Amino acid sequence: MTTQPEASPAKEAFLQRIRQALGRAEPATSPPDHPPLKTNLVRQEEKLRTIRAKVEARRERNAERLAENATKVGWHVHRVETHDEAAAAVAAIAAGLHARNVVRTAEDCFRQADYDGPLRRARAAPIILASGRNRSRDSLKATAFDADLGVTGVSWAIAETASCVIVPRRGVARLASLAPPVYVAIVGIEQILETLDDYFATVRLEHMKGRGHVAAYANFISGPSRTADIEQTLTVGVHGPGVVHMLIVGRE
Amino acid sequence: MAAKAAAFKRSSAVAVRNPKLQQTLHHVVRHFTEARDAAVASEFPPETWEQMRERASSIKLQTLLNLDFYLDMVDRNVRRNGGHVHFAADAAEANRIVLDIAKRNAVKRVIKSKSMVSEEMRLNPTLEAEGIVPVETDLGEYIIQLAKETPFHIIAPAMHKTRQDVSRLFQDWLRSAPTDDIKTLCAIARNALRQQFATADMGVSGANFVVAETGTVVLVTNEGNGRMTTSVPRVHVALAGMERVIPAIEDVALFLRLLPRSATGQRITSYNSFISGPRRASDEDGPEEFHLVLVDNGRLNLLKDERLREALKCIRCGACLNVCPVYQKTGGHAYGWVYPGPIGAIVTPAMNGFARGADLPFASTLCGACKDVCPVKIDIPKLLLDLRPEAARRTGTWAERLLMRRWVDMMRARESLERSSRLARLMQRPLSREGVIRRSRLPLLAAWTQARDFPAVAEKSFARRWRDGLSRAEP
Ligand code: SF4
Repeated sequence: MTTQPEASPAKEAFLQRIRQALGRAEPATSPPDHPPLKTNLVRQEEKLRTIRAKVEARRERNAERLAENATKVGWHVHRVETHDEAAAAVAAIAAGLHARNVVRTAEDCFRQADYDGPLRRARAAPIILASGRNRSRDSLKATAFDADLGVTGVSWAIAETASCVIVPRRGVARLASLAPPVYVAIVGIEQILETLDDYFATVRLEHMKGRGHVAAYANFISGPSRTADIEQTLTVGVHGPGVVHMLIVGRE
Repeated sequence: MAAKAAAFKRSSAVAVRNPKLQQTLHHVVRHFTEARDAAVASEFPPETWEQMRERASSIKLQTLLNLDFYLDMVDRNVRRNGGHVHFAADAAEANRIVLDIAKRNAVKRVIKSKSMVSEEMRLNPTLEAEGIVPVETDLGEYIIQLAKETPFHIIAPAMHKTRQDVSRLFQDWLRSAPTDDIKTLCAIARNALRQQFATADMGVSGANFVVAETGTVVLVTNEGNGRMTTSVPRVHVALAGMERVIPAIEDVALFLRLLPRSATGQRITSYNSFISGPRRASDEDGPEEFHLVLVDNGRLNLLKDERLREALKCIRCGACLNVCPVYQKTGGHAYGWVYPGPIGAIVTPAMNGFARGADLPFASTLCGACKDVCPVKIDIPKLLLDLRPEAARRTGTWAERLLMRRWVDMMRARESLERSSRLARLMQRPLSREGVIRRSRLPLLAAWTQARDFPAVAEKSFARRWRDGLSRAEP
């Protein structure tokens, strides 16, 4: 990754006009006082320890809250004990759809149980959506757009907003959770955070630890794709998946 | 030019006489306000909501007061993420930047997710003139694009179109069969747009927030077209008004709680995307190039005015439109530019140096409903009042201006007030009945008495009555 060349004259002129508008001639020498920007690594780690302890203590409660909120915004929620049960549930969903083209990503959860076997037996052998080695960008796109079911793990889930957080990276293509009309998210109970604040505090810590490096993309999925653009009538599945399943794996 | 600068009076008069439009407006606006009220009240005690608004307002204002600092931070961090940042002083420059990027990448087709800034720039006609096809992908924007219109509402651009209108548009443009079923209409659009997603070389999006600390563009959407636009094509260009910045990633939580609730009454929208530069080498997909264009285009006019500055706190939720008794009757097109409603009545004249919307500061009853719902506590009625002197200078008739000047002179001194009152008493005699002047047909007076009775000057002034013993008559 290359850093782009230093500031342009257009930028300098732009910022200078802003300073004038604000009645200042010079750039500010000290950063403005904004508490969230002032914390240091030690304090942020402390904050995260508190969050982790809280989340751990309230796992079951948060799972229930996630399930309840998710149902309200249109997720089909399934609670299962183990990844084997989750794999069976995914296969059942595929069978119910008569799905033939299934795509999945390659998160850790897929190593917790054999997800592909039950799918194969449902005649819905999944393709791992990856652009590596023999799959070009265009063929990845075509495969994703042709799929009738997409299955992925998540990086986090947020109980407050019924959100699955997807962070694309190697093995995790963006299109797997976007292009197919039906989508399944596999959420481990240990991945559930309570609030938006918990999540952003986590991102902040990663950002600090990574010396300013962040993932290129993160996405919250909080229900089916929806629109109300015609006569304010709610319709699902306009561009993204119209049917979304959330499998919550584990119980405390 | 003058006609264009102050067109609201005429365009609003047309809108209120359109019964179909009135019906839709009534329906939609009620839907939005009820959803918002429920979403806010069902989850937060009023004090909590108030504290959240207060905090959001103060973060936004502090950011504006240090905007040079935070924009520099945005620039450095987006570049660190491997993206490019461009600064555009006006619409022309912003268009040039986008065109350059498109040409350098030999782009033929651009898919767009919703961007109000691109409406300001009139980016679509600019692209078309260069032989590049822009395709709006937000369903509402897509409908508007096919109809060759402009958005009617910040959140619901095509709210004035019925399903029959949409069906006819799709028949004309997509050769689809006529249908009354909204689900079918959505499916038609989905299929048509899928092909566009798969083949476009560039995606253009807006930006709900730009996080300075991490160089992250935040998109708040429901349909998924925002994700398509920022994930599928080889190049992604995000357009952001320069005031979209918020300082820290941890501030996002607050704004994500305020925006969807205020906009559509949702706890959160279906999708939130956080874009920090182009795909990394190890990523499976995503754009190879990322550009952020920060646009001024008249925002400086607001920033440099201490009173108007706070209008830049706006997070474009649209709540003030829905509760506004004027917007409820006129709808969005009457406002004549990209931003309608109470906030539009401020930013349209201010951003355009009164070359547009010069009469908009009067398009308000000053009832204050907008101020009450605004998630960042913009004192909209006060700002409208602040703009009125200038607006009056630009739009009033010379006769009215003269009259007002005389009025001011008259009110300034005791003797002149009494002298004028005596004169007025004499002159109003043929016009006034029972203490009021009704429906006068005299020029100038006609406009003042058309919709309400004009109180006549009292036969006896208050001062007079006081001297005659009013004070002693009180118990
Ligand atoms: S002025 Fe306030 S209420 Fe109106 S759109 Fe902006 S943020 Fe929303």
